[in-house]
Amino acid sequence: MKTDSDLAGGPSCWITALFFLAGFFVLAVKLESVQIDSAADSRRKMAVQSERRVQTDGGRGRILARGGQVLAGNRPSLSIAVNAECFQKRTWSAAAEEIRRAVDAAAAVVGRPSSVTDAEIARHLRQSLARPLVVWRDIGDDELARFSEHERDLPGFSCDESEERVYPFGSLAAHLVGYVGRDRAETVAGDEAFRYCELEMRGRAGLEYHYDSFLKGVPGEVRLLVDSRGYAQDSKTVVEAKRGPDLQLALDCGVQAAAEAQLRGLRGACVVMDPRDGDVLAFASAPSFDPNEFVPILRHEVYDRYKNDPAKPLLNRASGGLYAPGSTFKPVTALAGISAGLSPSDPYECIGHYMCGQMRIRCARTWGHGDMVMTTALRDSCNAYFCHLGVAAGSNAVITAARAFALGSRTGIDFGTDSAGVVPDDAWKRSRHGERWFPGDLAQMSIGQGMLLVTPLQMARVVGAIGTGYLVVPHLKAGLPPERTPLPYPESSLDVVREGMRKVVDGGTGRRGVDGVCAWAIGKTGTAEVGRGERRRKNTWFVAYAESCAAGADGSVRRVRDPARCVAVALVVEDGESGGGTAAPKVREVLKAVFGTLPEAEGGAP
Amino acid sequence: MNVFLKRVNWVQFISMVALVAIGTTCIWSAGNAREALFHGMWKSTLRTALAGLAVYVALAWTDYRRLFRWLSAPAYFGALVLLVAVLLLGSEIYGGKRWLWFFQPSEISKLCVIAFFAQVFGREESPGWLRTFRGMLLGMALFGVPAALVLMEPDLGTALALAPAVLVVMLAARVWRRGLALVLAAAVLAAAALLGVVHEAERPGVTPERREAILRFVPLRPHQLKRVKTFLYPDTDPAGAGYTLRQAKIAIGSGGFAGKGVGKGETNHLKYLPPSISMNDFIFCVYAEETGFVGSVALLSLFAALCVSCTWTAWTAADLSGRLFALGFATLLFMHVYINIGMSIGLVPITGLPLPFISSGRTFLLTVMSGLGIVQSISIHKEEET
Repeated sequence: MKTDSDLAGGPSCWITALFFLAGFFVLAVKLESVQIDSAADSRRKMAVQSERRVQTDGGRGRILARGGQVLAGNRPSLSIAVNAECFQKRTWSAAAEEIRRAVDAAAAVVGRPSSVTDAEIARHLRQSLARPLVVWRDIGDDELARFSEHERDLPGFSCDESEERVYPFGSLAAHLVGYVGRDRAETVAGDEAFRYCELEMRGRAGLEYHYDSFLKGVPGEVRLLVDSRGYAQDSKTVVEAKRGPDLQLALDCGVQAAAEAQLRGLRGACVVMDPRDGDVLAFASAPSFDPNEFVPILRHEVYDRYKNDPAKPLLNRASGGLYAPGSTFKPVTALAGISAGLSPSDPYECIGHYMCGQMRIRCARTWGHGDMVMTTALRDSCNAYFCHLGVAAGSNAVITAARAFALGSRTGIDFGTDSAGVVPDDAWKRSRHGERWFPGDLAQMSIGQGMLLVTPLQMARVVGAIGTGYLVVPHLKAGLPPERTPLPYPESSLDVVREGMRKVVDGGTGRRGVDGVCAWAIGKTGTAEVGRGERRRKNTWFVAYAESCAAGADGSVRRVRDPARCVAVALVVEDGESGGGTAAPKVREVLKAVFGTLPEAEGGAP
Repeated sequence: MNVFLKRVNWVQFISMVALVAIGTTCIWSAGNAREALFHGMWKSTLRTALAGLAVYVALAWTDYRRLFRWLSAPAYFGALVLLVAVLLLGSEIYGGKRWLWFFQPSEISKLCVIAFFAQVFGREESPGWLRTFRGMLLGMALFGVPAALVLMEPDLGTALALAPAVLVVMLAARVWRRGLALVLAAAVLAAAALLGVVHEAERPGVTPERREAILRFVPLRPHQLKRVKTFLYPDTDPAGAGYTLRQAKIAIGSGGFAGKGVGKGETNHLKYLPPSISMNDFIFCVYAEETGFVGSVALLSLFAALCVSCTWTAWTAADLSGRLFALGFATLLFMHVYINIGMSIGLVPITGLPLPFISSGRTFLLTVMSGLGIVQSISIHKEEET
C-alpha cells in the first residue's frame, strides 16, 4: 500500500478543501445580509405584493327616541356575489367569459336578470379581483329561497349580509334625523391606504350628519392574501369591526307626532323643549320628506323632486327657518322697557295706530285700545303701546334685550342647522342696506317686525326663559348636562311679563292656545306681515310656556311648586290668518299631547 | 467486512442521507403549490433516492479501479453519443433540448467526464507526456467536446460547473500547471471583461446605438445577456427579466432568521416564484423562506461536510485516479451548490443549475448519488487491488 506522500497532488486536497470552505463562507455571509439584514425589507415587499387590506364596516348605531322607538335603524340586506377565484382560467378574457356564463346560469336560478355587464366583469378582474363581485344587491325573500335551494349547483357564488339604513317612522322627525348616503371611506391620515373599502354609510343631513362620527362604528380590517395573479387565497381579520353606539334622543315621539299632525299640509315648524334642561321634545318642520327614499343611494330624480318643490320640504324650518317674530317679540320689548326704567303700570293711550315721524304703524284694533298698561297691552297685543315703549326705552335697551335672549346668535343646539337669525342695529343696517338706523326701525323692531329675524327654536328658548328666568342651550341628545344662563332681569320684571302673558291665554288673543289643556300656561300670539302688495303674507305664531298643574274641580288650574313637566313651545305657520286663530289651536293640541286634557274638557265642553 | 465498515466515510454518507431528506421535504412543499400532478412528486423523488442508495451501495462495494478501468472510457463515449442524441431526438422544453425520453444526458455526462479524466490522468502506467503541454491539450479536447455539445442544448450551467472540476483534476494531476494557470487567468479575465462590457453597455443613459456597438462582440445569447444584465442591474425591470431574481430575494429574505415554517412559504404557495422553477433551479428560495437563516446555514454546513469529506477521501485515497475523481467530483458538487445558491441571492448571474439533492431532477439525483458511491468506494478500497 502506498502512502499519501507518494501520490501526486497531495496539497491539492487541502487547498481544494479550503477553497470550498471559503466559498461556503462567502455564501453564508451573503445569506446573512439577505436573510437577516434585509429581512424586514423583504417582508415589506412581500406584504406589498401579497397583502390587500380591506376595510370592513362596523355598522352604524341607531337613533332612538325617548321611549326607545327606533327613528333610524338598520335592516339586513342580502346580496349575492360571485367569487372570481373559483373561475380561474389561463387568460383573463377566458375567466371573464366563464364568470359571465356562471352569472347567467345563476340568474336563471335566482329568477332575476343580472345587471352586471361584461365591462363590469372585466373591470372587476382588473381592479378588485380579490373581492367578491356583487351581482344582486338587496335580494328579496323569494330570491334568497331559490338561491339557497340551488346553492350547491352554483359554486363560486355566495350570499353576503350587509346593512342598509332604515327609518321605521318614515317622515316622522325626518328633518331632525336626516339621512345617510354612501361614500368612499376615509382612511386614517398617515396610514397606508386600504386597497379595498366598501362604500361607507355617511350621514348627509340632520342628526345623521351631526352625530356621524358618534354613530359610525369603528371600521375593522381584513387582510387578504393574494397569489401572484391577484386571486384571494386566504383572509384573516386583523381588526374586528365595532358597531357604533346608539344615539338616545330626548325627543318624545308622541309630542313629535302631534306637532307634525298639526302642521300637516301646511308650511311651518314647531319646537317643543323643556326649558329647564334644554331637552328638545319635538322638532317638527313641514312639509317633510321620507328619508327611506334616500337609501341606499340618493337618486337624482328623488332629489330633484324635493329640490324643485316650491314648498321646500328639505328645508328644516324649526332651526333653519328665519321668520319675523311679530308680536311674540313684545315680551322682550316689555322687559327692555322695564329695564330702561319705564314703569309697567304707566298707562299709554292707544288710538289705533302709532306715528313715528311720517310712518304710521297700525294697531290690530283700528279704533284703538284706549288706555293700556303693560299687562293689558300684552293681552291685547297692542302695537301702539309697544312701539311707544320701545321708542321710549331706546334702541340700545331693545337691542340689548333681544341679545339677552340670545337672538341673533346660534342656540348651540347639537345639530347642524342652527341659524343665528338677525338682530339689526345701526352698524348692521349700514352694512346691509347702506342706511342709518331710523327711529322707525326701532318702532318696527319693538313689535317684532322690520328686519328682526328669528327661528322657531330661538323663540321656544325665549318663551322658556321667560317662564324659568334663565336661558338653556337646547339639545337633542338625551342626558347632556343643562347649560343655563340667567336672564339679566329681576324676577319682579319677569313676573309682570308673565302676568301679561298669562292674560293672553286667559281671555286674551291666545285664549284658544291652552283651552282644555291640563297645564298652567302663559303664551303670546304673533302675526308677522311679510312682503308687500300682492305678495303680502302673514306668518302666524304662537309661543307658550306651560307646566304641570293641579287641576281644580271647576276646570281652573293652580300652579304647583316643582312641576313634573315643563315645556316651552314655539309654533309658526306660514300664510296663516292670525296667531290667535291659526297657530294657537295647534299649540293647544301639542300641549294636550304633553299634559293631557283637563278632566272637564273631556266631556266635550261647548 | 469489519475493515470495510471502519473505512466507510460516515460523514459523507450521513450528510448525503440528511440532504436527501431535506430535498424530499422541499419537493413536497414546492410541489404542493403546483397543480395536483406535482403533489406526489416527493414520492417519486424518494423512490429515486432509494434506487440511488442501492446504486450507491453497489458502487461503494465495487473496487473503483476496476470500474474506471473497464467502464470509464465506454461511459465517456456513451455520454457523447447521448449528448448528440439529445440534440437530434430530444424534446424541447422551455427553449432548450435537454431531455432524452425520461432523462437528461448532460447530467449523466458530468459524472462520466470526471470519471474518464480520473482514469486518463490518474492511472499508474500513464505516460510522461500527459504531464506536459500535450496533456493539457488532451484534457482540453476531452472536456471541449462534451462541453460544446452541452452548450448547444443550450446548457451553460453544466459547462460552467464542469470546467472547474476538470481544472481541479488536471491541477491535482500536475498537468503542465503553468499552462493551466494561464488558462485559468484567461478565463477569469474573460469573465471580468464580459461583465465589464455588459455593465457599460446596459448602464442607464446609454444610447441604443452605443449599446448595440458595444454588445456586437459579446458572445452571449439574448437570454444570457439578459441574465447578466439582471445580475448587474437587478432593479431595472422588476416585472420582466428581474422578476425571478426579485422574487427569489424576497422569498429568501422574508424567511428571516427562523423561517416561516416548513410548508408555509408564501412566495412559493402564492406562486410569486414561478412554479415552473420553484421545484428546480430556484428551490433554494422555497427552502430558505421556510427555514430561514438557520436552515440555510444548516444546509450550507451539510454541503460543506459533504464536499470536505470528499476531499478527505481524496487525501487518503490509495491511488491517483481515486484522488482525482474524489477531488473532481467534490468540485463539481461545490460548483453546483455555489452557483445555484449564489444566483438565488444575486451573487452570480442566473444560470440553470440544479441544487444537488434538493432540486427535483431525478437524473441528477441518481448521478450525484452514483458519484458519491464511487467516492465512498475510494474511501473503502485502500488495499492493493486484488
